[in-house]
Amino acid sequence: MLFLVPSFSSFSMRQVQELAITLSLSTISMVLLVMTLLLGSSSIWRDIERRHTASILTLPISRDSYLLAKFLSIAIFIVLAGVVLAAAAAVMISLAATQYPSDLPLAWGNIVLAIGADVLKYLLLSAVAVFFSAVSTSFYLPFFATLVVYLAGSASQEVFEYVSGQFAQQIDPAQVAVIKGVYYLLPNFSAFDFKVHAVYALQVSSQAFLFPLCYAIVYGGIVLGAAVWVFNRRELP
Amino acid sequence: MIRRGIFATFLLVYGFLVLPFADFMADRPLEVKLGYLPHPQLLKILSADHDLIVAQSAVVKVLFYYGTIVGHFMENVIIRPEHANMYRTLQTATQLDPYNMDAYYFAQAAFTWQLERIDEVNTLLEHGAKYRTWDPWINFYLGFNHAYFLKDYGRAAVYLQRAGELAPENALFSRLAARYYYESDQTKTGLAFLEAMIAEAKDGAVKQTYTVRRDALLAVFALERAQASFVAKVGRQPKSLDELLQTGFLQRIPKDPYGGKFYLDENYRVRSTSKLAGDNL
Repeated sequence: MLFLVPSFSSFSMRQVQELAITLSLSTISMVLLVMTLLLGSSSIWRDIERRHTASILTLPISRDSYLLAKFLSIAIFIVLAGVVLAAAAAVMISLAATQYPSDLPLAWGNIVLAIGADVLKYLLLSAVAVFFSAVSTSFYLPFFATLVVYLAGSASQEVFEYVSGQFAQQIDPAQVAVIKGVYYLLPNFSAFDFKVHAVYALQVSSQAFLFPLCYAIVYGGIVLGAAVWVFNRRELP
Repeated sequence: MIRRGIFATFLLVYGFLVLPFADFMADRPLEVKLGYLPHPQLLKILSADHDLIVAQSAVVKVLFYYGTIVGHFMENVIIRPEHANMYRTLQTATQLDPYNMDAYYFAQAAFTWQLERIDEVNTLLEHGAKYRTWDPWINFYLGFNHAYFLKDYGRAAVYLQRAGELAPENALFSRLAARYYYESDQTKTGLAFLEAMIAEAKDGAVKQTYTVRRDALLAVFALERAQASFVAKVGRQPKSLDELLQTGFLQRIPKDPYGGKFYLDENYRVRSTSKLAGDNL
């Protein structure tokens, strides 16, 4: 980020500050995605493969606590990474804003909100990764399944709105129903995207923030609950 | 030993290959460099939460492409730009990020003066004005396009008044709005706009485009002023620009920066054989 933001921001003709914020937020999102995929996808199944679970679960620790503690360790790492990346972003954005002042004010509150929402999104995704890791015996299933869920969850809102509009008249109602069913099943990551608000200093309603927060807690709870349920029924060597 | 030999051979071949490869990449047709973007809706789905950065990279791609063509133009090498593809790319960028000012700014710079695709640019700007509700410049561009190109002074005044209201500290908007309300002189209006654009321009290629256009309009303005003095004194229109020279109303006929020659048309309007347009710029 330290090299990317100053060198690429100057490509903009009229919105250097805005581009610096965009680059910083996109970099943070990309780094957190890679961390989530790698950490989440290599958690439970690897412990089973290396027989760590065999020794740990002989201690007075339930499988529930083990899995939740595993998730918590990943969550703490993601939050800390988010804080460090946010600090670096703040420095780069301040520098860009000082060099090329914009007509728009720097909405620090929105920037913090955008990064916070991103962290929340990747916590939710790491819960999904832990779920796949709990049912898997190799790296590939949790990694690629989590990646697919991430891509589908990021696109689901667009697709839902598309099939809810005029386009729905051209396709089979059964297909529309399936798409809508998948939409409710998948995590909706679009709700955590506050980048445009951060970049262009747009107003954010409290509802726009509280809804995704509650959604992440409830959806994350369900996914972790399912992961615990699956892990409790898994035969361990 | 054999493995080292194979590795060394690959390194050697790479050494021979890398420079011709770099030349080949640099000499690719400009059309290939601009490339093609999928439908904005599909791109929005594919770009996940990185739609803003995808939009900006599309604008930068167009800017680099155009910059290369301007560079060739300055060396008298004429390459016809892919305007339709450039416009489509900018349109896609504004669908992904409707707030992106670079896209609107570039469309205004590259598609109005010579191409005169005013309606398309205005459509793009109207889209931007819906989102950038704080921005006086989009209204300024819209106002100017309506006045200078479409001669619709009434709508131009409305846009410029809106720009003036959004940026009361900038007297230019209000001044132009007033001028348009009274349908004032077009050449002067064009000059005022270009001076503002040159002062704001950061990109070299864009600034160069505006500067050449400003110099052309300055030449036209000097000729029109001499013509007006002739009419005021003599009571009729001059037969040609040479008559202005012979009667002392004009010291010399200014040079057309686009390479043409100025003359008076049958309606006594100052024209140039270049039509005040560089090839495609």
